Amino acid sequence: MNIQDYIASGKLELFLLGELTEREREEVLALAKAHPEIQQELDALEDTMLSFDQASAVTPSAKVKDRIFASLEDEFAKDEIPAAPQASPAEAPTVKLSPWKSFAVAASLVAVLASAAAIYFAGKFYDSEEKFIALLQDQQVMAGNLNQVRLDFEESDSRLERLLSGDFKKVEMKGESLAMQKDARVDVLWDQEAQEVFVAVNTLNLLSSEFDYQLWAIGKDGPVGIGLVDPGEKFTLQQMQAVAEAGAFAITIEPKGGSQSPTLDKLVVLGEVS
Amino acid sequence: MQEDELIAGLRGKDRKTTEYLYEKYSRALFGVISRIIYDHDIAEEVFHDAFLKIIHKIDFYDESKGRLYTWMSNICRNAAIDKLRSKEISQSTKTNTIDDFVYGLESNSGTMEKIEAIGVKELMVDLSDDQRFIIEYIYFKGYTHSEIAEEFDIPLGTVKSRVRAALQVLKKNLDSI
Repeated sequence: MNIQDYIASGKLELFLLGELTEREREEVLALAKAHPEIQQELDALEDTMLSFDQASAVTPSAKVKDRIFASLEDEFAKDEIPAAPQASPAEAPTVKLSPWKSFAVAASLVAVLASAAAIYFAGKFYDSEEKFIALLQDQQVMAGNLNQVRLDFEESDSRLERLLSGDFKKVEMKGESLAMQKDARVDVLWDQEAQEVFVAVNTLNLLSSEFDYQLWAIGKDGPVGIGLVDPGEKFTLQQMQAVAEAGAFAITIEPKGGSQSPTLDKLVVLGEVS
Repeated sequence: MQEDELIAGLRGKDRKTTEYLYEKYSRALFGVISRIIYDHDIAEEVFHDAFLKIIHKIDFYDESKGRLYTWMSNICRNAAIDKLRSKEISQSTKTNTIDDFVYGLESNSGTMEKIEAIGVKELMVDLSDDQRFIIEYIYFKGYTHSEIAEEFDIPLGTVKSRVRAALQVLKKNLDSI
């Protein structure tokens, strides 16, 4: 094909006027790509048309320009950042973003913030749960303590009731032969009719773990062991075994667990029933 | 500004680029329209719509299918032709001629436009009657080449070669200004 003939055919002018069919346009574009002369001619013709359009025109009025830009106002990318109140010397270079990029950036920011919030609140949640469990445990311990206190109180209360309702005789037992326990003092409370015996420790030394204090009721048939006395429980009532008949009460130091008969050289206190 | 920067700026909805485009091409594009549409107000209305269309359709512009100005001027030319054929324009304006156009510019407006009109006259000066006829119908009356061939019973090939010849004369005249 002769390129000069093709150029001379007038097809390029019609191409620029937009009067060719789609198929003819494709043909012109393909030939222009293959032949630089055709491309050059196209460019020259376009310049001519532009110059002719410029030369044969009047400038549209400012009114039209204002209307056009007013219509476009909302569509322009908002990349003009209002002047910051404080001048930051190391200002980051602003990158122009097309709207979808801004949305993408905004969406990622939201995602990051949401994740951070989720982690933060998850941490808070585990903290709270730990505290809650600790509180539950404390509460259980306190409930246990309370229960113990209540039981103790009930016990004391019932003893007090017994003491007040019964006909108790107080027998004071005082330090006897044992030099080290001269100032020992333990009281026995005895209701002869009900055969109930309590001891209340006032002053009594602690013993090593191999020994116990044992209370004896001394009657016509000799001393009868009626229980072990805890020297640690002072000013409380320790219930002993029942005794119907006794002329005196005594406490001796005996091997752990008590003995059948008292070790008299270790008599600590003795009190006669008046 | 290079053409690819210009196109990228328009696609990025950049205001400065749009203003640059307007300053550079508004006059030529308005020329395409106002040559065909005699009524100044209607021509500006068509230009307004066509310019917005260019901005809105810029994503559809395909660089491989021709240069930007050709694409834009085709939009304007087609908008003007559509308007011309709509019922809004009275039949009388369709009898536009180059002389009417020049006379209109000279009589309606101030000195500046007279000089511009003289420019058009000078550009037309060396055209043969046949070439002048072609320019008149294509550029000032909004005919397509096939409409000219049909209406005036001129072979298509002849219309094409006259279009080419006329533009060559215009090119020479433009270069000599």
